[in-house]
Amino acid sequence: MTVEVLFPEVCNLFGDSKNEEYLRLTLPDAEFIDTDLLTRPYFADNTPDLILMGSMTENTQRRVIETLRPYTERLQALIDGGTVILATGNAGEAFMKHISYVTEEIETDGLGLVDLTVKTDLFRRMNGKVIGKFEDIVMVGFRSQFGLWYGDNSKNAIVKVERGWGLNPDSKLEGARVNNLFCTALLGPILPDNPLFCEYLLSLCGVKAEAACKKEAMTAYEQRIKEFRDPKTEF
Amino acid sequence: MGKLKFYFAMTAAKLSALGLKILGRNATYLPGLIAVTLCKDFIGYLKKPEIFIAVTGTNGKTTVSNLLTGALRKNGYTVTNNSFGSNVQGGVAAALLLNSTFTGKHKNKVAVIEVDERSSLKVYPYMAPDWLIVNNIMRDSMKRNAHTEFISYIITSSLPESVKLVLNADDIICAQLAPQCKDRTYFGIDAEKPTVLPTQARDIVYCPKCGQKLDAEYIRYNHIGRYRCQSCGFASPDRDFCVTAIDRENERFTVLGDGKEKTYKLINDNITNIFNACGAIALLTRLGFTDQQLTDYFAQGEIVKTRFDKMQAGDAEVTLILAKGQNPVACSRVYNYIATCPGDDKCLLLIVDDQEDNVNNSESTCWLYDCDYTPFKDEKITEIIFAGKRCYDHILRCKMTGVDTNKLVPCPDQLQGHTLVDLNKHKNVYVLYDNYGLDIARAEARELVKKGGGKA
Repeated sequence: MTVEVLFPEVCNLFGDSKNEEYLRLTLPDAEFIDTDLLTRPYFADNTPDLILMGSMTENTQRRVIETLRPYTERLQALIDGGTVILATGNAGEAFMKHISYVTEEIETDGLGLVDLTVKTDLFRRMNGKVIGKFEDIVMVGFRSQFGLWYGDNSKNAIVKVERGWGLNPDSKLEGARVNNLFCTALLGPILPDNPLFCEYLLSLCGVKAEAACKKEAMTAYEQRIKEFRDPKTEF
Repeated sequence: MGKLKFYFAMTAAKLSALGLKILGRNATYLPGLIAVTLCKDFIGYLKKPEIFIAVTGTNGKTTVSNLLTGALRKNGYTVTNNSFGSNVQGGVAAALLLNSTFTGKHKNKVAVIEVDERSSLKVYPYMAPDWLIVNNIMRDSMKRNAHTEFISYIITSSLPESVKLVLNADDIICAQLAPQCKDRTYFGIDAEKPTVLPTQARDIVYCPKCGQKLDAEYIRYNHIGRYRCQSCGFASPDRDFCVTAIDRENERFTVLGDGKEKTYKLINDNITNIFNACGAIALLTRLGFTDQQLTDYFAQGEIVKTRFDKMQAGDAEVTLILAKGQNPVACSRVYNYIATCPGDDKCLLLIVDDQEDNVNNSESTCWLYDCDYTPFKDEKITEIIFAGKRCYDHILRCKMTGVDTNKLVPCPDQLQGHTLVDLNKHKNVYVLYDNYGLDIARAEARELVKKGGGKA
């Protein structure tokens, strides 16, 4: 199995980089390719089984979009072919149609592979928690973002939110899935925090593997579900 | 109209301070909050003290602020300081107004004001400091501070060009702050250059001028180190004040500044505190302090006990250290410091979560994944008790890092950690606590002292 991690040297905020580490522990025999911003992506000429991209700063986001733009068609082909792509935090915004950076008064077209738009306001940091269902799996996670997402994800949301919010505070549907491209605003250690979702993602890649440190991960996961479902817990 | 608003706000704030005093409560925040709520530009109406020094940066603000205040007071200056209060807009306003007359005239010659980075835009445009010292710009709470680029943007856009800056030259993000301010003094550490690249994420990888990769001469931790861009020549700035030697055995460090080398007593041997001390020396020298004044002061200076304290529990030494939850770099530095401290069979009691100040929360785990847990692999750390609701997350992080799970002990009840410490086995016990966890840490330490047969 081949996992390509896009731009880990800069897309590593909020603990997102530990998703790669968790996968490395889960898949000790897999090949991991870390692609930096100055290198031609592996996916441009090959078909990785899984692509990861994590949270980044707004300046980096604009650079990432321009770095990926020449490969838009290739990315579309990979998505159509079922390659699994997990974009956490604001990484998924790069795949969307348009980003308005209202504080800096910058308008940027994304890659246009996901039919959503983004409004980013540096003076409005939005934090929160999410618990909900992805298929049969209970998902838990955290969010912390300047960008709010807009558009219709009623047919392709990732998480049906039980507590917390979705694309924006008016939505109860979190993220967007296009074939096997997962764009979620949940960030940080989404895989170690959700070992069952980690195993599900790997199953999409045709790999049956037990998530690393499963016993410890499940204990922490179950404790979090208990806390998130406690009515006293503020979201 | 504005002036009337100011007097109204000043009256309300002073009365509230009086009320709080009568009630025996702290007046370090509320009066300021009242003032800026009633009069948005309240700080701007206050008259500036003769010397206004602002202290900001991710880690070390309180230590630097205390060092500066202590040195100034020892040398006869009257100083306004908010280190024991709040450093957000309300706290800054409270410190300033409580040391001002009703008309806004400042009573003390100097103000050394710690300013939370996020409050920069609410303070500096209204009262520009004469001096601003910035220790570092590091990863911090993602909820408040987002990322270093955002914090740099806020600080830079809030400063007029008249401000004289004292910046950490070994933090290339910090060193680039506010290019409009031309009077810049840089400090840093040349001693004990590391030879191994650390594994933590860096917040600067590419040259801010040309976008090519920066070459690192060396990196101490995270992005703290020395850099050069081979493509365009951009580089870490030269240091005006530089630690050239650290003698841990004799508790001394040497600073090269203004062409002379001078040796001072170490206030604490943690590298972050050596940065803090060097920054304070740089600023005090710029203010005109003599070698003798600095030497005399540092001979007596120490870290305040709210950050670092020691107690004896029978034969065991109990060390309390502020680790700052939600702040991955501060925690990582403390973990690393403990691993490098002398002694075997160390036991850590970690009480680092937000339970004490955020009871109805289920704390985000993201910052734990930015923390460096590798120091816990050290064989001399033989037991780690994680107290609080996040204990299972800490244990997962440790396991992912390859820490021996036999030495990890979960303790979901934050107040019961002391019951699990075996003082017969461990002669070096470290109690780590969050910003708001000092009372709990002290209570736990007192229980340990009792357990050791002492009087708490």
